[in-house]
Amino acid sequence: MTVQERGAYRVIGQGIPRLDAADKVSGKAEYADDFHVPDTWYGAVVRAPVACGKLKSLSRDPAFDWSQVAVVTPEDIPGNNIVDMMGRDMPFIAHDEIQYLGEPLALVAAPSLHVAKQAAAHFKVDVEERPALLTLQEMVAVYKEDPAKLHKLSGQTIRKGDAASALKDADIVLEREYTAGHQEQLYIEPQGMVAIPERDGTMFIHGSMQCPYYINPELCETLDIPPEKLRVKQSAVGGAFGGKEEFPTLIAGYCALLALKTKRPIKMIYDRNQDILYSTKRHPSWSHYRVGVMKDGTIRAIECDFVLDGGAYTTLSPVVMYRGILHAAMGYRCENVSIDGHVYRTNTFPNGAFRGFGAPQALWAWESLIDELAAACGMTPDAFRLKNCLHEGDVTPTGGLLRDSVGSPEVLEKTLERCQFAEKWQQCSRGKSGERLWYGIGLSFFAHGSGFTGDGEARMKSKVALDLETRADGTPIVNVRVSSTEMGQGTGTILPQVAADALGIDVTHVDYPMPDTFKVPDSGPTVASRTAMVVGSTIYSAGQKMKADLESFVSETLFDGQPTELVENQFRAEYDNRSIPFVEGAAAYLASHGPFRVYDQFKLPDYVKWDQENFVGDAYPAYAWGCNVAEVEVDTLTCEFRVTKVTAFFDIGRILNPVLAMGQVQGGLIQALGYAMMEKLAIKAGKYDADRMQTYVIPTSVDGPEMDLHFVEYPWDHCQPGAKGVGEAPMDGLAPAIANALEAASGVRLRDLPLTPERLFEELSRSQRLTA
Amino acid sequence: MSELHTIQTNINGKPVEASVPGRLLLSDFIREELRLTGTHVGCEHGVCGACTILYDGLPSRSCLMLAVQADGHEIVTVEGLASNGELHPLQEAFKAKHGLQCGYCTPGFLMTLVPFLAEHPDPDEATVRDAISGNLCRCTGYQSIVDATLLAARQMREKAGAVDGSEATS
Ligand code: FES
Ligand code: FES
Repeated sequence: MTVQERGAYRVIGQGIPRLDAADKVSGKAEYADDFHVPDTWYGAVVRAPVACGKLKSLSRDPAFDWSQVAVVTPEDIPGNNIVDMMGRDMPFIAHDEIQYLGEPLALVAAPSLHVAKQAAAHFKVDVEERPALLTLQEMVAVYKEDPAKLHKLSGQTIRKGDAASALKDADIVLEREYTAGHQEQLYIEPQGMVAIPERDGTMFIHGSMQCPYYINPELCETLDIPPEKLRVKQSAVGGAFGGKEEFPTLIAGYCALLALKTKRPIKMIYDRNQDILYSTKRHPSWSHYRVGVMKDGTIRAIECDFVLDGGAYTTLSPVVMYRGILHAAMGYRCENVSIDGHVYRTNTFPNGAFRGFGAPQALWAWESLIDELAAACGMTPDAFRLKNCLHEGDVTPTGGLLRDSVGSPEVLEKTLERCQFAEKWQQCSRGKSGERLWYGIGLSFFAHGSGFTGDGEARMKSKVALDLETRADGTPIVNVRVSSTEMGQGTGTILPQVAADALGIDVTHVDYPMPDTFKVPDSGPTVASRTAMVVGSTIYSAGQKMKADLESFVSETLFDGQPTELVENQFRAEYDNRSIPFVEGAAAYLASHGPFRVYDQFKLPDYVKWDQENFVGDAYPAYAWGCNVAEVEVDTLTCEFRVTKVTAFFDIGRILNPVLAMGQVQGGLIQALGYAMMEKLAIKAGKYDADRMQTYVIPTSVDGPEMDLHFVEYPWDHCQPGAKGVGEAPMDGLAPAIANALEAASGVRLRDLPLTPERLFEELSRSQRLTA
Repeated sequence: MSELHTIQTNINGKPVEASVPGRLLLSDFIREELRLTGTHVGCEHGVCGACTILYDGLPSRSCLMLAVQADGHEIVTVEGLASNGELHPLQEAFKAKHGLQCGYCTPGFLMTLVPFLAEHPDPDEATVRDAISGNLCRCTGYQSIVDATLLAARQMREKAGAVDGSEATS
């Protein structure tokens, strides 16, 4: 069932240009480094020289001129020296134990960046170094020996049926391991923040961020100020991808602590080298599966260990792992599931949020394994998926019922048909000797949970407001007041589109001012593909309330009490056909009542039930669905390979702006291509080896394949307009599709990300397929 | 400390005289001294292209140049693309075709593509992709930038055709 009653919408579904486009093409948009605040000093961080150890002393070089430098050490922190995220294990400034190379030991500020940097280099640090645990590989080796030897940051299980005994009944049991490495978000605008101490004691934080309401309250405890004295405002954001979800609390804290000390505005803009070395990355992962199947392709039992390398502190790792385990067996029918998720400490910067948030790691392994299972049953990858994929009415690995808006199996069937998978599968080279080029095609199919995991949305109760106000030029304007941020993905355009349709007006009468915690309620963070669905639907209902109030005002004051409707920008009286433009009615309202604010709050449908302790029930209120097919070509002389074509279908629910949505898919797939085969971070001497843009290589305009991309629309029925989120799903499935295609081309399987020619060469050598 | 050098340059059509330290980067001069913050810095090393400006009409990475190199030369930044309050056709096309998301890379792409389009009025997709292969965009996946460029080329041809009466080929 594809629901497509478009008639109800005029603005939703239109590919209107971005509302911020004019500012961005003319250089007027103000990013964090663009503010000019008089008397600003520049901040820098004094960093630990070892990845693990005990700090014995920190002293300043007496030969350096400290007269123009302010220094903040742990003793200067007014409140608790704690970064309060999902754990309370991370200090703002290390004072005893050092858990990663570059951990802050002190903060400095000076009138120029040059002096601040010099000052930071003139500290003498005495540490007792200890052996560090640095890589996923080292961590997994210890885990296999004895997990108790690791420092556990988080753990969670999923249990359904009885996987252990069902495995014994299976015809075939496959045991496999897959790993994935770090990925850097590499937003082109580096992290940056300004903290301005105001006369009334307010600390004003302004800069590049995804989640203003993370910084407030997280910083209140450290700065020891009440929430109403901490004002957080978003600047234009030059890309984030999760990298500006939790990290900005740190840089905002550094700036604010220095601002308290100096009583001046403090600016910190990371250079690219600091940004790569000292900000979050996608968690490296190790997935270990034992899966039992019957000869006819039925999946009997799934056992999985999903282990994340958390880096030094807890931060958001538990929820990243939750999303990982919730996707690690998703998509297919199976009665017996047992998943153990773990996060362990390593001595690197804490790993964190990155588009997909654990799902890409989980699906990388799971969708690779699905191909291996199909082969083990003697089935093709498409037939195996078609046989097992979830349909409406089926249950998820946590026992959640897929009630409605299920784009499976349509996305799968449509993709297979569109790219002629079955025919092309027959043409794959499978490592045939004597050929110069090998061809392969590979598939992935997946769901991506929309909104917060588990009980997140129920606890969050996202709040939104719409303000009817008067613009500087005297005309009425409806301002969307949410804490959801525009970071390139289009929030600042789709939310006004939704508000416009809810009100029955043109989008030209709606605006989206940058979120400022002094002006907007807490709509929750801009993460988890939740903005279009959760915040969008709440805006829609707020818009309907505002519309009703305006209609009754116009009815009573201008239309003699006749029933009145605001539609297509006109207030229309039912009986005598009188009508006036929206601006006229709204101006009359403003003249008589003044500015008008409508609040609303998101409410999950009652049928969504979730047991957070046991992970049983509806893990997400809805799912986006996707299917990716990659075609690859391998040069058998060099083992180089390239993706020649990607075909994909996505069900993202109601499409609010098709051009923006397609932009998310195009950009997300190219980022996924980077994750799959280009982006590599190794750790040398405790440090990421690719620590600048020359060495951390992301896709350019000539690296992408031909793309054939489509949507199917299964709106989420519970709320209007029924979007399910598009931000993350494009990141989920390309890596396994490429690995599956590579196996079809070469006959060997790569189980570690990124997929590189070197790894392919090793595997081919091992399997003695390189004979030519 | 650093000695100051007097430079005479032309920025976005206006003559500018300034005293600058010998080691001041052109990107810092443009952003900090002239407060033209549309020129963005993404990598400081000549890799991302966000800081691209026109130096005597040629796309150049201002993070790899010194302010003193502007002496006697003409600089155009993204703020200088619009004329008489009207956006350049390439800027219009970026708007229309969603050639941007976060917009941080956008000025660099525009400054790379304006001279490219002057030399290649009727480029094909591969040529456009080649022309922007030195500019990094992490958001769009490049397709919308390519589409915007092709649209701008067509519209600029049509406009030129309308003026000189010759037929625009497509
Ligand atoms: S900032 Fe100049 S090329 Fe990146
Ligand atoms: S639009 Fe964000 S980097 Fe290009």
